[in-house]
Amino acid sequence: MPSSKSAPRCDALAKATGAERYALDLAPADCLFAGAFRPGAVLGIAHGRLRGLDPASVAAALAVPGVLRVLTAADVPGTNRQGIVHKDQPVLCGEVIRHAGDPVALVLAESALALRRGLAALRADIEPLPGVFNPEEALKKGAPLVHAGRKGGNLLLSALIEKGDARQALKSAPVVLRGEFSTPVQEHAFLETQCGFAQLLPDGVLDMTVSTQAPFRDRFEIGHALGLDPLTIRVRSPYLGGGFGGKDGSTVQCLLGLAALCAGGRPVRMAWDREESILAGYKRHAVRLRYTLGADEDGTLLALSCRLTYDTGAYAHLGGEVMELGMEHAAGPYRVPNVRVEGRLAYTNNPIAGAFRGFGVAQVSPAFEGLLDALAAKLCLDPLELRRKNALHTGDENSSGVTLTSSVHLAQCLDELAAHPHWTGREAWRVAAPPLTRRGVGVSCVFNGMGYGRGLPDMAIAKVELTEAGDFLIYTSVPDMGQGNAAAFALLAAQELNQPPEGIRLVQPDTERCHPSGSSSAGRTTYTYGNALLKACAAMRAKLLTRAAMALMADEAEALELVPGAVQHRTTGRSLPLAALARFLSRDDRLSVAEFLMPVAQDRPDTGRGFAIGFPHLFFAFAAHLARIEVDELTGRVRVCDYVCVTDGGRVLGRSCFDQQAQGGAAQGIGFALTEDFQVRQGLIQTRDLSTCLIPTALDLPDIESLAVDGCEPTGPRGLKGVGEVGLNGPAPALAAALEDAIGTRLRDFPLNPERVLAALKKRRPSSKSGRESGTNSATKAGPKPVAKLGPESGPKPGLKPGLKSERRRA
Amino acid sequence: MNVVFPRSLPELFAALAEPGARILAGGTDLLVRLRAQPEAAAPATLVSLERIAALHNVAEEAGGQSHSLDGVFGPARLPGTLHRVVRLGAACTHAELLAHPLVRARLPVLAQALAVLGSPPVRNMGTLGGNLCTASPAGDCLPPLLALGAEVELASASGARRLALADFLLGPGRTALAPGEALIAVHVPVPGVDVRQHFEKVGRREALAVAVVSLAALVRLGHGGIIAEARLAWGSVGPTVWRCPEAEAALIGRRLSLTALSEAAALVRARVRPIDDVRASADYRREVAGNLLLRLAEL
Repeated sequence: MPSSKSAPRCDALAKATGAERYALDLAPADCLFAGAFRPGAVLGIAHGRLRGLDPASVAAALAVPGVLRVLTAADVPGTNRQGIVHKDQPVLCGEVIRHAGDPVALVLAESALALRRGLAALRADIEPLPGVFNPEEALKKGAPLVHAGRKGGNLLLSALIEKGDARQALKSAPVVLRGEFSTPVQEHAFLETQCGFAQLLPDGVLDMTVSTQAPFRDRFEIGHALGLDPLTIRVRSPYLGGGFGGKDGSTVQCLLGLAALCAGGRPVRMAWDREESILAGYKRHAVRLRYTLGADEDGTLLALSCRLTYDTGAYAHLGGEVMELGMEHAAGPYRVPNVRVEGRLAYTNNPIAGAFRGFGVAQVSPAFEGLLDALAAKLCLDPLELRRKNALHTGDENSSGVTLTSSVHLAQCLDELAAHPHWTGREAWRVAAPPLTRRGVGVSCVFNGMGYGRGLPDMAIAKVELTEAGDFLIYTSVPDMGQGNAAAFALLAAQELNQPPEGIRLVQPDTERCHPSGSSSAGRTTYTYGNALLKACAAMRAKLLTRAAMALMADEAEALELVPGAVQHRTTGRSLPLAALARFLSRDDRLSVAEFLMPVAQDRPDTGRGFAIGFPHLFFAFAAHLARIEVDELTGRVRVCDYVCVTDGGRVLGRSCFDQQAQGGAAQGIGFALTEDFQVRQGLIQTRDLSTCLIPTALDLPDIESLAVDGCEPTGPRGLKGVGEVGLNGPAPALAAALEDAIGTRLRDFPLNPERVLAALKKRRPSSKSGRESGTNSATKAGPKPVAKLGPESGPKPGLKPGLKSERRRA
Repeated sequence: MNVVFPRSLPELFAALAEPGARILAGGTDLLVRLRAQPEAAAPATLVSLERIAALHNVAEEAGGQSHSLDGVFGPARLPGTLHRVVRLGAACTHAELLAHPLVRARLPVLAQALAVLGSPPVRNMGTLGGNLCTASPAGDCLPPLLALGAEVELASASGARRLALADFLLGPGRTALAPGEALIAVHVPVPGVDVRQHFEKVGRREALAVAVVSLAALVRLGHGGIIAEARLAWGSVGPTVWRCPEAEAALIGRRLSLTALSEAAALVRARVRPIDDVRASADYRREVAGNLLLRLAEL
């Protein structure tokens, strides 16, 4: 049986050697090329009325040798509307463009060069309309409407989570802190941009191979948009070169389907280049957050009230669900008896926001953690101790009113971090800063829900086949976008069937060969499909033992066991090779299928208002992060020197995949918090390529230490929970805390770019000689509740150990 | 689009005489630009410098050999200069120069800039000549070479000429190269051992970053650590590499103390005229252009 400790993941060699075949590697050589014409970006128009394509330019495009078709909205059969929950996004725009990347035509050509020339020839006549680019402006009366005539105007969703009485509790809370935060748009920047190929087969089946996270749902989205029966659409999803949420929902699918319908039966390929990927792809929602936190004088959290405004851009995508998850996490992984979370989600003429690893939660983490640090500072408490004091445990009621019957090992994460030398030795390290350099250490405490939440069943179906050759095929049905779930499936099956790694082969998702399952997303991929797979494998094992009993002359199947490549009689050692056993069985009998449905909270709380689906969640992964940083006083540049993630993902199945998820999440979170700085002005993206949209390089990241706590989620496959997302939520708050430790100012607007850091340093510089802090601790004194308005310059510094308290009081 | 590979300078000049011909050095800028351009604007032929051996040499020469060349700091006879010149072939890659013992030993300010230019793949392809001819105000080699008082050697079918680098760089993307002319080599006077050499680039990340501000500084220290001469050149704060004679003058006669440097930094901030762009604001550039001088206190 394969060891889970050291074996490399099963896809490692093929990917490292370049042998793995991604979607476009599988495209036939005689493919036509399809490409979208997106004139808004060229014209600098994010909102405009489309008067039409210039007919002369269409003629010019069609005159380009090799250009076959120029398709417009008039050529789209079906509704011409795509969208996962809200069908609000045209495949091709006919009347209005709502963001600068909206497509208005689709060109079909014999070659990449002809396509490029055809696209270059096109001109669109677009009358600019007043646009709205700020979600709070969008919700004001008289704001330009993104979707004219829509009931509710630009307000896509307004929702509330209310538990207890936060207003009353805040009135009487001894300590009250306020803070405003903002988090930016983030680009997924996957290595493999959005791509795929498609062909309309003679039998009417639209056969597609796409880099997608949700092949089964895609069929319905494509079918709805293009007026096709989903049964006539086949979607295959080989390994993705990255997804992170950006390939959850239609990217190329509907355009490619339309192209294939108009290609006379020839295969067509579509691949967005990097600029198009940035222009038209989904982004992380920018969010503004207004927080009020109330606590007792001993640091016990009493109440939290906040108002979140999410900018979903021109179309809904999964905006409502993203905001829902953010709201559910808005109070942090803490016991808070009184909670009020208001969320508003607005349409604007900005790029489309959608699913992104950390799904709404990465945006709220810097806010609740920022106020936790402010509270620690105010009460002169160790920030890690304050978190331990309030941390959720199994059996606690969370901020949505859900009793956590699932595994919660957050306290162990914090214990591990508290004992880490980077934490215990932080003062010594800090004072040893080189000249012109400030050092700081910060921690954060984060979590991330698993699964779709109540009201949207989270289901997967696994199919296992014993082949004639005597090995096993796993029909995976949930794509692997690089996170390693396919490797986890292979490992789970190998363990359950007691076979060597080479005895297990994987069929990547294919709607014709695999059974329908949910998307690769939401930290649910390995959990839900893995459970289904274990059931299917157990049933397969039971079946094979029974079938082998006759051949092995065994009276009872219990006397038999599966061994590598064979069924063996335990006592006599007689065995039947699986390849021989397979010959006794018809193909139907060599299959085993099982499904799993994620459990949901049984006592559905009445705390949520406005959520159609997906509220609340029951399972959470937890993590505690630590960052050690250096800040250059001359430039404001932040260097991450060390980073530690302690993750509660239940039991660890494969250590390398677990660590890669923690490290990858932290790396992407560091980019989100520090370097990326995605900029949009008047709806127009300023960071249009990877020379300005600055994802971190190897030199920008330290070695990221990944530690696991010894947890176990009883409902999980082999006790595991999903850890794909939680790692992204930690860096922004941990880095902001470390920065505050270094420079004495809490920055609440992200990213923490050199410009903001230098400005903060400059403001504080006059007092830097006489000690870095001058904050008072009025909150600890008795008397009426002090209210601290946390502007960028106030707020005493957290993170001092008790020995320094007196010194700070003197300051 | 054709790509041709001449093997000698005469072949190069012949190829450049063809209509629509354009020099391809490392291609790290040019190919990215061509991809973004409309097809009609593309050159008909790219003329690669890769196989012209004469453009790949690095050698140290006696300074007297070059015409009209004084030492780095004033007349060649001035104490503290080596009276020698390093000649860098224009088609040398950044990686080749970075690894070259002469560059490392004689021109550490250039080596420091090369070490943070792009990334290893970009340094393996990009060339010194390409970096200069691209004439980006953010080009990492420009401030060090300008501070060093480098000269460029230009040649065409009709002959060769020398220009001070400052006269070669006319503006963003603009140089004094005439049609049919190629940058052949860069001549760099070698500073004396009493000259401190320093380069710092501020980018938005540690690699593959365009400079937001950069500073090349050469400071000659006289007896008792008194500054005898200073040459300061900033990148990314103006249309071309920017010098600040007032700040240089203010340092003379002082020590490399935080006080002296802070005063010079104030002069820099008062005079520099940077712009806002997607990478940084003008205010940030102005502030940091001054601040970077303070690093010299650590020299």
